[in-house]
Amino acid sequence: MNRIQKLNALKTIQYNCKEDELSQLEVSGIECIRQDIILFQDVSFKLHTGDLLQIDGVNGSGKSSLLRLLAGLMQPNAGEIIWQGKEISRCRYEYQQEIIYIGHLNGVKDALTALENLRVMVALAGSKPDIPLSNALDQVELAGMDTIPLSRMSAGQKRRVALARLFVTKAAIWLLDEPFTSLDASGKLVIERLIAEHCARGGIIIFATHQPMEIENCSIMHIHLGKK
Amino acid sequence: MYSYWNVFRVIFLRDIILASRYRAELANPLIFFIMVIVLFPFAFGSDPELLRRVTAGMIWITALLASSLSLEGIFRSDYDDGSAEQMVLSGCPLTLLVAAKITAHWCLTGLPLIIIAMLTAYLLSLSTQALQALFLTLLLGTPVLSLIGAIAVALTVGLRSGGMLLSLIILPLYMPTLIFSMLAVENAMVDLPVDAELYFLSGMLALSVTLAPIATAYSLRIRMS
Repeated sequence: MNRIQKLNALKTIQYNCKEDELSQLEVSGIECIRQDIILFQDVSFKLHTGDLLQIDGVNGSGKSSLLRLLAGLMQPNAGEIIWQGKEISRCRYEYQQEIIYIGHLNGVKDALTALENLRVMVALAGSKPDIPLSNALDQVELAGMDTIPLSRMSAGQKRRVALARLFVTKAAIWLLDEPFTSLDASGKLVIERLIAEHCARGGIIIFATHQPMEIENCSIMHIHLGKK
Repeated sequence: MYSYWNVFRVIFLRDIILASRYRAELANPLIFFIMVIVLFPFAFGSDPELLRRVTAGMIWITALLASSLSLEGIFRSDYDDGSAEQMVLSGCPLTLLVAAKITAHWCLTGLPLIIIAMLTAYLLSLSTQALQALFLTLLLGTPVLSLIGAIAVALTVGLRSGGMLLSLIILPLYMPTLIFSMLAVENAMVDLPVDAELYFLSGMLALSVTLAPIATAYSLRIRMS
C-alpha cells in the first residue's frame, strides 16, 4: 500500500516535471556577434507558461537580433536555446510550428488582398483557424477591406494585416518585434488585449518595444540589453 | 497535421496571382527573347542556309539568358517584404515551399518561352526533325535552368552586387544543358539519333528536381541568418 502510494506520488512528480519542462523555453548564456561587434553576451532566462517578457534596450543593442535568435533565424555565437529540453536547432520543424514571429518586416505581399495574405499565412502555419478569416480582419478593425490590395493600404493597416496572423494561427510562443510600430491607439489596444488573452491561455510572449507597456492581469518580466 | 499538397498549391497559386498582377515584369524576359531573335537575321543577313544552321543555337542562348534574367526576381520581393522570413520559419519543410516557387516560376517563364521559341524557330525555317529535337531539349532543359538558377539566386538574394555574382555562379552550371541540347539539335539536323542527348538531359532534370530544391532551401536559410 505504502509502496503504491509512493509510486503514485513519484508519477505525479514526474508528470509535473514533464508539464513544467514542456512549456518552458530556456535561454542560457547566449552571445550574439554581428559585424565583429559583440551585441550582447551571456544572456540567460527561463520562461514558463503564461510568461510575458519585454526586451528593453537602446537602438542597436540587439533586441531584434535576440528575437531572431529565439526564432531560430540565426544561430547564437555561444550558448544555447532550449525548448522542451531540446536545443531548438535539433527540433527545428517542431519548434517552428510552435512559434509565431512578427519582425520589422510585415511578411505580407503588397499585391495581394488582405484575405489572400491571410490564406497564405494559414497555409504556411498548417493549422485550421478557429475563426473565419474575414472575422480575423474584423478583429483588427479592417472590416470590409478584405478585397483591397495592401498596396492601397496605409502602413498601420498593413501592420494590422500582419498582426492578424495572431488571430488565425495557433502557436504557443509569440515573438513580436516592435509590434506597435505604426499602430494607432485603438490598434495598440487590440494587440494588448490579445497579448493578455494569450498569456491567460498559457502562452509565452517575448516582445521588444520602446513604449512602456501595461497589461492587465499580467506581470511583465524585463530583460535589458546593452549598457545602462 | 500538414497537408503538404495544400501548402504547395497555395504557394504556387500565390506566385501565379502575384505574377498576374505584375504583368509587365512577366513579359520582360519574353520581350527580350523576341527582340534578340528578331534582330538576329538583320545582323547576319537573310541567307536561309546560314540562318538554319545558327537558329537553334541562337534560340538556346537567348532562352538561357532570358531565363537567368527572370530568375533574379524569384526571391527578391519575398526577401524584401519579409515573406521569405515567414517561409523559413513556417513549420513546413522549406524545400517544399521553394519547390512550389520554382514550379510557378517555370510555368510563368519557361512554358511561354518554349511556345515562342517554337514559333520563331518555325519562322526561321528549321527542319521538322530539328524542330522536334529543339522542342524536346527546351522541354527538358528549361526546368533545369530554373532549378539550378534558383540555388544561385537564393545564395545572392539581398546582396547589392548580387546580379554580377549570380551570372558568375550560374553560367558554368548552365553549360552542360546547353552543350547537350545543341548536340541533340545538330544530330537531328543531319538525321542522326538524338536519344543519348535526350537521356542525358532527362538525367540532369531528374538530378536537379531532386537536389536543387534542397540546395535552394539551404542557401535561403543561410541568407536569412
